[in-house]
Amino acid sequence: MTILETKGLYHDFKGLQVLFDVNLQVQEGERHAVIGPNGAGKTTLFNVITGTYRPSRGHVFFKGRDITGARPHELTRIGMGRSFQITSTFNRLTAFQNIRLAVLSKRGIRFQMFRKVDGMGDITRETDEVLKRINLDRERDMPAGVLSYGKHRSLEISMALATDPDLVMLDEPTAGMSRDETHHAVELIRRLTEGKTLVIIEHDMDVVFSLADRITVLHYGQILATGPPGEIRQNQAVKDAYLGELEV
Amino acid sequence: MRNKLYKWILWGVVVISVALFPHVVGIYYSNFFVAFAIFSLYAVTLNLLLGYMGVLSFGHAMFFGTGAYATAIALTHIKGFPLLPAVLVGGLAGGLLALILSPLLVRVSGTAFAMLTLAFGQLIFVVALKYREITGGEDGIGGYSIPPLNIPGVVSIDMTNQINFYYFAIAVIVVCLFILWFYTKTPFGSLVVGIRDNAMRIDYLGFKLPQIKAVNLIVCGTFAGIAGAVHALLMKLVSTVGVLDINASFVPIMMAYIGGVGSFFGPIIGSGVLHLLEDLVIRFTERIGLVNGAIFILVVLYAPMGLVGLFREAKAKWFHEEKVS
Repeated sequence: MTILETKGLYHDFKGLQVLFDVNLQVQEGERHAVIGPNGAGKTTLFNVITGTYRPSRGHVFFKGRDITGARPHELTRIGMGRSFQITSTFNRLTAFQNIRLAVLSKRGIRFQMFRKVDGMGDITRETDEVLKRINLDRERDMPAGVLSYGKHRSLEISMALATDPDLVMLDEPTAGMSRDETHHAVELIRRLTEGKTLVIIEHDMDVVFSLADRITVLHYGQILATGPPGEIRQNQAVKDAYLGELEV
Repeated sequence: MRNKLYKWILWGVVVISVALFPHVVGIYYSNFFVAFAIFSLYAVTLNLLLGYMGVLSFGHAMFFGTGAYATAIALTHIKGFPLLPAVLVGGLAGGLLALILSPLLVRVSGTAFAMLTLAFGQLIFVVALKYREITGGEDGIGGYSIPPLNIPGVVSIDMTNQINFYYFAIAVIVVCLFILWFYTKTPFGSLVVGIRDNAMRIDYLGFKLPQIKAVNLIVCGTFAGIAGAVHALLMKLVSTVGVLDINASFVPIMMAYIGGVGSFFGPIIGSGVLHLLEDLVIRFTERIGLVNGAIFILVVLYAPMGLVGLFREAKAKWFHEEKVS
């Protein structure tokens, strides 16, 4: 079943055309990687799908519903989660408080003004479980802004996952990580997205080919090819445009 | 355990001192203390926007002043208007104003928010100045009597007795401060702080940003209105100067910064410092603004997290070794 689909998606920034007729299909349960050179429009595609921008033309469907132009909070509530290329956490709040906000959202707790949040045992327990799962239990009470880069990225990724979305969209989760950190991050992503649909933007080809079931190559705002990793590796157009440079 | 005991003892001492205060220092200073308490509440509501939600209100007096005027108007025009509803009317008026302005105010942040609040604050100031039939213009509204605190069939406490009024005003403000403190500790309060750090992520976590901002704004408007209402009862005179002018908007900003925007109690400390300072400086010179301004500049330059921030830093330094072991 198709969980996410874009039909004839166009986007331009004041005349600068970034996306041309993008038709993307993501099946439920698959791990779909979006690759392409810098400036290919990968993050813009993410932004248009997750509600940061409204596309200039075309439609986005999620779980069969037309979600074109829906706001981010509406999409989160129907099961879409997203992480950011540039780490976007609550930097003055502790790691615990960061995750707790996601847990509150997942439980639909929004306008509760008659109980102390510290006194809500089940929320605290679930938040601590998440922190343990992502290996941040020792940094529980540290402000997010002072975490090491790798830990901060883990927090970023797990905030997208803590709302328990069906579709997870990760924008370059391993950007700027060391080899070792990347390895841990990939394991973390693998573990946390079990049974979920994953769409991931990634530059590290090792990560892409080890993680993805299907790959879409974006080039100058257009889809160059879509298919399983083996097929993409052999595709001449992809080799010429992108992979060739990387000598895969 | 020991810490908890100390805390209880400390609170006990505070309660007893506040209770005995008017009997020890007399009427002048008990009124002085009520004014300090009023401005503490007022500055705390400003800080719920500034330190918690991350927007600076340059026209906060509109909520405070609207509350004060609403109470004064109710007491002047409605015969036998009871005391508690008079306070509530002030809160309602402040909250209603925030509700009316919220569709505009929740859509902006940063400088735009500061400028919009400044503009609306000035607008309401001018309206109050010009709409003489209702507000009395520059003369303001005065001469209304303070009704007794009447609990039918139980007691009727005379509020023209200033010691009684002291207890009443302090009780109202302590209850309000407690409600607001609790409010910051709720799940909703934690969302508001999230907006300060990263509004976009709050949206991406599934929370409707404008709604949360509007609710927080209304809460702040309501309690600033209550502070204004108690102010109207204390002064027995409401005129634009002191409750609606630009200075009345600026005072709580100074209090919040001097005390510390990073903490709930910071603005209360700031209010205490400015009131004590005024009492001291006025004996030597009338140029109180000069002294306040100098202190404000020093705090902004050298202690951006205010006195509470300084205290926390010092504490961290002194107890550093203990913490490590």
